[in-house]
Amino acid sequence: MIKFITANKWFNNTHVLKNINLEISKGEVIVICGPSGAGKSTLLRTINKLELIDDGEIIVDGMYLSDPKTDLTALRAEIGMVFQHFNLYPHKTAIKNITLAPRKVRGLNRKKATERALKLLEKVGLVHKRDAFPVQLSGGEQQRVAIARSLAMEPKIMLFDEPTSALDPELINEVLDVMVSLAKEGMTMIVVTHEIGFAQKVADRVVFMDAGEILEVGTPPDIFVNPQHPRTKSFMSSVFHIPIFDEKQEEEQESSS
Amino acid sequence: MMITGVKITLILLATTTVTSLCLGTVIAIMRISRIRIFHILGNLYVEIFRNIPGLFLILFFYFVFPEVLPSSIGAKLNAYLYYPVVAGILGLTIDNASYVSDILRSGRLSIPHGQRDAAISTGLSRVQQYLYVLLPQMYRTALPPLGTRMVHNFKNTSLCMAITAPELTWATQQIESLTFRGIEATSIATLFYIVLAGIMVSVIILLEKILKIDVSSITHSKTL
Repeated sequence: MIKFITANKWFNNTHVLKNINLEISKGEVIVICGPSGAGKSTLLRTINKLELIDDGEIIVDGMYLSDPKTDLTALRAEIGMVFQHFNLYPHKTAIKNITLAPRKVRGLNRKKATERALKLLEKVGLVHKRDAFPVQLSGGEQQRVAIARSLAMEPKIMLFDEPTSALDPELINEVLDVMVSLAKEGMTMIVVTHEIGFAQKVADRVVFMDAGEILEVGTPPDIFVNPQHPRTKSFMSSVFHIPIFDEKQEEEQESSS
Repeated sequence: MMITGVKITLILLATTTVTSLCLGTVIAIMRISRIRIFHILGNLYVEIFRNIPGLFLILFFYFVFPEVLPSSIGAKLNAYLYYPVVAGILGLTIDNASYVSDILRSGRLSIPHGQRDAAISTGLSRVQQYLYVLLPQMYRTALPPLGTRMVHNFKNTSLCMAITAPELTWATQQIESLTFRGIEATSIATLFYIVLAGIMVSVIILLEKILKIDVSSITHSKTL
């Protein structure tokens, strides 16, 4: 479904993506994690060409992104994206946020678009907020509307860019629940997140990135419990707060050897 | 004469408000554009016309513009009874649009990047991004300074008296010089200007209130 072939990107002199090779098949749920500045968001944004790569190739559903003939609108219509800061249109109500793209890009009439939007609002549990403006919604509600907005285009792939990191801890679960149900329906999902619980529940593979490189790819237990790369180890131990790797023991081992 | 003056002033106000808003929007989008030539032309427009006095532009369109055009068209324009009004509209539009574009540009800059990202990622074309996502927000944020600018433009319509457009200030002057009833004429004109500007300001405040229903509740939702 998505294939990165030695993709490289520079921001001025900073090498933000280094020789990315990754293949994601249909229906797979991929979680990308890593420290900030690792290039996770940039990697995500190259898939729908919000960012361009300077070298290499990305193929999405048979479309070559470097090919100038690739229809960008068609590409983007197939890829839904959910952002850290929701990015709902503040001047439109929840339902209008959702119906805008289906009407203008897919050419649906108002009635059909509204029907579809209501179905999606039901799915995320927010039908009663259909006429609310974004500022009248909590963060969790805004993010659920944002997910519904992306789904309204009936995408084949969903990208999530730290969807819960701007939320109060209490509101995180309502968003994760929607994402879990989406994953169970077989949606191809790429999620940048540090929600380990979510990753363990639904991720098929976890990608660990640092300094623009993919350091490790594996199943959630591989990466979280039994990481191989030293950078992954130190990152995981700080993410879990409770040190899984007993540092004292390690030091002892090191000193004894 | 006074009534004609009021009519002409209203015509000048209504047309230039609309035309300068349209032209200002186009110039603002050109200035934001990543296409270099548009960007340069837009900036050039603002730098030139914002630095020329409005009165000068009005005089230009009345006296010089018909001369620059091919003589047949120029002569027709000069003969046209309402050409002073047309020249006034052109001058005021060109002048006001430079300010409007700058106000709208600052409105655009205040919109977070994420709005555009969201619009792009749902597949909206560039024109659609502006039409449905960016422009509505630009006008909203820019409304207070835009309103002030439009009131300023309303007052600038009096400059058209210099080219004998029969608007209110010109009419007042005429009445004064023909009948010597300057105090009455000036008082009526003053009252008219104050009332009309007052109406404009009220409309703007009302618009702000309507558009900011949701914004005023930001504080409310944050305390929840």
